[in-house]
Amino acid sequence: MSLQAANGRLIVWLTLFIGLLSQIMPLPAVVEAWRPDWLLMVVMYWSIALPHRYNILTAWVLGLALDILLGATLGVRSLAMSLVIYIAILHCQRLRNFPKWQQTLVVTLLICLYHLVVYWVEFVMDEAKFNTDLFLPAISGLVIWPWIFWILRRVRRHYKVR
Amino acid sequence: MKPIFVRGISNQFRLTLAIILSVILLVANHRLEPARQSLASALSPVQYLASFPGALLDWSSESFATRNMLALQNKELLRQQLLMSERLQRFEHLRQENERLRALLGSPAYQDSRKMVAEVLEVASDPSHHYVVLNLGARSGVFVGQPVVDAQGVVGQVVQISEMTSRVLLLSDVSHGLPVRITRNDVRLIANGTGENDEIELRHVAKSIDIRVGDLLVTSGLGNRFPEGYPVARVMEVLTEDGQSYARVTAQPLAALDRIRYLLLIWPSPDSGVTLPNQILVPAADHLQEAPKGETPEPAAEPANPPTSEENR
Repeated sequence: MSLQAANGRLIVWLTLFIGLLSQIMPLPAVVEAWRPDWLLMVVMYWSIALPHRYNILTAWVLGLALDILLGATLGVRSLAMSLVIYIAILHCQRLRNFPKWQQTLVVTLLICLYHLVVYWVEFVMDEAKFNTDLFLPAISGLVIWPWIFWILRRVRRHYKVR
Repeated sequence: MKPIFVRGISNQFRLTLAIILSVILLVANHRLEPARQSLASALSPVQYLASFPGALLDWSSESFATRNMLALQNKELLRQQLLMSERLQRFEHLRQENERLRALLGSPAYQDSRKMVAEVLEVASDPSHHYVVLNLGARSGVFVGQPVVDAQGVVGQVVQISEMTSRVLLLSDVSHGLPVRITRNDVRLIANGTGENDEIELRHVAKSIDIRVGDLLVTSGLGNRFPEGYPVARVMEVLTEDGQSYARVTAQPLAALDRIRYLLLIWPSPDSGVTLPNQILVPAADHLQEAPKGETPEPAAEPANPPTSEENR
């Protein structure tokens, strides 16, 4: 199968690309603040599952792409994403073997950390205002992470990405 | 196979590298504008692709609308058109009268400016930044600093362009400031964004200034960026507290910033006092005389930085 040709590289980048698209897709203003961090969660899954192939520099590049697409200061999201992915990779063994709820909790905390870092850098760069809406994506991430994990694990097993 | 020992560089090294690269980008951010523009051009297909599901939804709701709904909509639009054309007739009369009066006074007449309708591709998903991305870019002649309005009032200005897209900073963004005046008494003020969609604030308003709830704020044209006279906001609240040296004035933007879909890009006419990128420092009167000799008043396709003004701190 062609998707397996490069050890599933294509399918992994396809999921990452879908994550990126969902991240920048226009949404109605009501649900906008609740938009889960699709890209971060997809990157996190692959770096937990295959830390030797998808790691901090993958996260950095995708964070940069997100910065460009969102028109933000370059380097904000790449910094936050590589930091969070670093922590996820440090604990990847533990995260993989955690029970579902515990894993979800840790991922939610990591998402919170990601938003805090983004906020913090933006505060240093150009006085951003603190807003508790910052953490709404973490709440929606809490709900969505188990599903992302389940879907991506099926993808990984089906295409035998190792 | 998963290697038992991690080969190659360690994660700590990767993290250090990522942090160093990010910090370099953050520090050099202002010098990276050209690079960002070309990268944004390269990534703009992603933006088009991302707006596709929304466009599909719009399309399907349009094509599966029932006959009843369409008839209803049609009726409503006809009614609106009637109202508008009546207003337009009055407006036309006023315009002519105004031109005559201006001619009597010897001041230059207003000219119509070129406009183009643009569609919103993306809305900033970040509560601390208020941006929208439009489907027109440098190829259509959009330039940095260009005013953007909708049917009700001023929306913001273009801050970044790529070949096919452009990014508009909304006037509700905290970094946006806009010179305005009160239509009732011509008091000049500066309207700053607050980060809330439905609120802008007027800073440094002396308590003695005559400003009331309900006053209409229009662009004053003083920043040399927005043409004069576009409606901006209506004053919602004027608070004068004893301890404060200034009054706290908030206003509500007239443009519905939370549900914009189509916007108007404006190419200000050359003699409206607004500085276009290709005619910086050309006095309006001279420019009018020189205009037929090859130098078109149209903005150049490539952006030049308009002179800095208070509008974009």
